[in-house]
Amino acid sequence: MSKFKKSFHIKGRDFIRAGEASINVQNLLKSMDFHSRLVRRIAICGYESEMNVVMHGGDGSLSIEVDTDKLILEISDDGPGIEDIELAMQTGYSTANDDHREMGFGAGMGLPNMKKNSDQIHIESKKDQGTVVRMLFFMPERGKTD
Amino acid sequence: MSQKQTSTYFVRFDQDLCAGYGSCLRVCPTKAIRVKNKKAVRIVEQCIGCGECIRTCHEGAVSAATEGPEVLEKDHVAIALVSPVLYAQFPGVMPKDVLLGLRHMGFQHTIDMSYFLELFQCAAEEFISRNRKSQMAPWPLISPVCPVVVRLIAFQFPNLLPNVLPVLRPVALMAREVKSRLIPEYTEKGKDVVLYYINPCPTKKDPTCLPSRKRPVPTEIALGINDIYPELVKHVDQIKAANGIPFYQTRFEYETCATGNASMWAMSGGEIADMDIDKSLAVSGMVETISYLEKIEMGLLQNIEYIEFRTCREGCLGGVLTAIDKYLAKGAVQKMIKRFGLGRRLHRENILRMYEKGEFQSEKKPSKLTRLFGAHKEALSIDTMQEIEKVMQLINGNDCTACGAPDCRTFAEDVVRGDAALKECLFVGAQKRKKG
Repeated sequence: MSKFKKSFHIKGRDFIRAGEASINVQNLLKSMDFHSRLVRRIAICGYESEMNVVMHGGDGSLSIEVDTDKLILEISDDGPGIEDIELAMQTGYSTANDDHREMGFGAGMGLPNMKKNSDQIHIESKKDQGTVVRMLFFMPERGKTD
Repeated sequence: MSQKQTSTYFVRFDQDLCAGYGSCLRVCPTKAIRVKNKKAVRIVEQCIGCGECIRTCHEGAVSAATEGPEVLEKDHVAIALVSPVLYAQFPGVMPKDVLLGLRHMGFQHTIDMSYFLELFQCAAEEFISRNRKSQMAPWPLISPVCPVVVRLIAFQFPNLLPNVLPVLRPVALMAREVKSRLIPEYTEKGKDVVLYYINPCPTKKDPTCLPSRKRPVPTEIALGINDIYPELVKHVDQIKAANGIPFYQTRFEYETCATGNASMWAMSGGEIADMDIDKSLAVSGMVETISYLEKIEMGLLQNIEYIEFRTCREGCLGGVLTAIDKYLAKGAVQKMIKRFGLGRRLHRENILRMYEKGEFQSEKKPSKLTRLFGAHKEALSIDTMQEIEKVMQLINGNDCTACGAPDCRTFAEDVVRGDAALKECLFVGAQKRKKG
C-alpha cells in the first residue's frame, strides 16, 4: 500500500513565520480532495501544535503522513519537554509567559483543542528531552463538500 | 486536462503585446497563468477576476473585459450605476457635479450607491446581532461586498463559504431596485434600457447570475472608471467652470445624493467604520487577504465577528480600473468625509421591516459558486502526490518561473497531470547536458 509523507521545518521563537508549516500541510491536503471538515480539523491541530513548538519547544518539525484509510500528523521538537502530561492536557492550564499572553496565546486551550479535533492523540515527552505529539485522523470522509 | 485560452470571462489579452516576461505568473492568486511559447496563457476556469495581472503587466497586454464609452452612443436609455470610487477620482469636486458630468456625457439616470450601502450596512448589523444568539453562521463572518473575495473563497477556501455574510451585496440591491422601479417606466413605453455599471475593478456581472423569468432583462454593461474618465473629466471641468448651474430635477431619492459614509466605502475600512459592531476588522490587499483566510481556516480569529476583505490594497480606490493613484484618491475621500460629516440618513425601522420580509436574503446558494470555481481541478491521489514529490526532487526548487509555471510545485503538478514536460525545466535540462 502506498503512503505519502512530507515534513516541514518549524523554527522556534519565530513568531513572524509561525503557522507556515501548518498552512503548507493544509494546502497539500486541500489539493487531495479530502473532506473539508477533516482538513480543517487537521489544520487546527497543526496550528496549535506548531505554536507550542514556536513558543516553548525551540526547533522542530511538522510532518504529515497520508495513508489510504488514515492520516498521521506528527510534531516533534527538541525543547524543554512536558513534565506532567496529564496536567498539560487540562483546559486552562498553561505555561506561557507574559510575552506570549500579550500576543494572545497562552489560554491553556492548545492541547485540549488538539485532543478535541483529532481521533487519537499520543504524547511522548520527558523533561529536557523534547516532545513528540502524534495525532491520528481516520478518514471515512471523501469529497469536498457536504 | 484544463482548458487553456488567452482571455477569460474577466480579462482580455492581446497576444501581440505580450513579451512573455511572465510578471503576471507570480501575482496570480489562483495560479491560472502559464507562459507557453513566450506568450502567457490562462487556465480560464481558474480566473477569479482580481485584475492583478492587469496591474502588473508592463506591456499593457492584459485589459479588463469591460466596454469602452463608445457603447453609449447607441440609441437607448442609459442608466449609470455609480460606485462611490468614482467620486474619489475628482479631488475637490462635489459628487453631485460628477453625477451631472455623467448626465452631460449622455446618461439619462445616474444612480448613486449611498442609499443601498446604508441598506446593506443596516441589514448586516441585524444579521450579526441575531447571530450572536442563534449562532447560525460561524464567526468571523466575512463581508460579501468584494466579489473577488467571494470567488477566492469558493475557489481556494470552500470551507469558509458558510462564513460569508448571507446578505445581498449593495450592488445587487441597487440593481434590483432599478430593475423593479425605474426600468419598467421605460419598457412600458417600448424603449430599450441599458444598465451601465461604473466599476473600479474588472468584475463583471457574476457568471452565476441567471436572468430572472419574471421581468424582461435589460442589457447590462460594465464600464471601467478609467474607460470613461477622459471623457468625464472634460464635462466635470466645464461644470466646475460654469458657476451657478441650476439644480436639476431628479425623481428618486437615490439618483443624486452622496454622503460621507458612502464616500468612505471606497477606502479600506470604510464598510465597517460606521457599523455597530465592536469586534470587526478591515483587511486589504491580495496577499493579506489570503493570509487572513488561511488563519480563519485554521480556526483563528473566532473572537472577531465581522471582517471586511478587499483584495485591492487600500480598498476599492486601489482598484485596477481607477483613473488616479490610490493615495490621491484616499486624500480626496478624507476631504469629502470632512465636508459631509458622517452619519446615516435612512430610518432603521423601515430597513428592519424589509429585513423581516426577507428582502436582503441572497438567493444564490454558496454551493453553486463552489461548483463554478472549485470543482475544476482533479483531486490528487496518494500516488500522484508521490510522483509530484519525485519531480520536486529533480528540479531546483527555487521558483525561477523560467519553465512558464508560477512556481516549482505547480510545475511539478503540471508535469504529473501531463500539462507540461519535465524537460521544460531549465535546471533539469542543464543537468542532462552536463551528464550528456
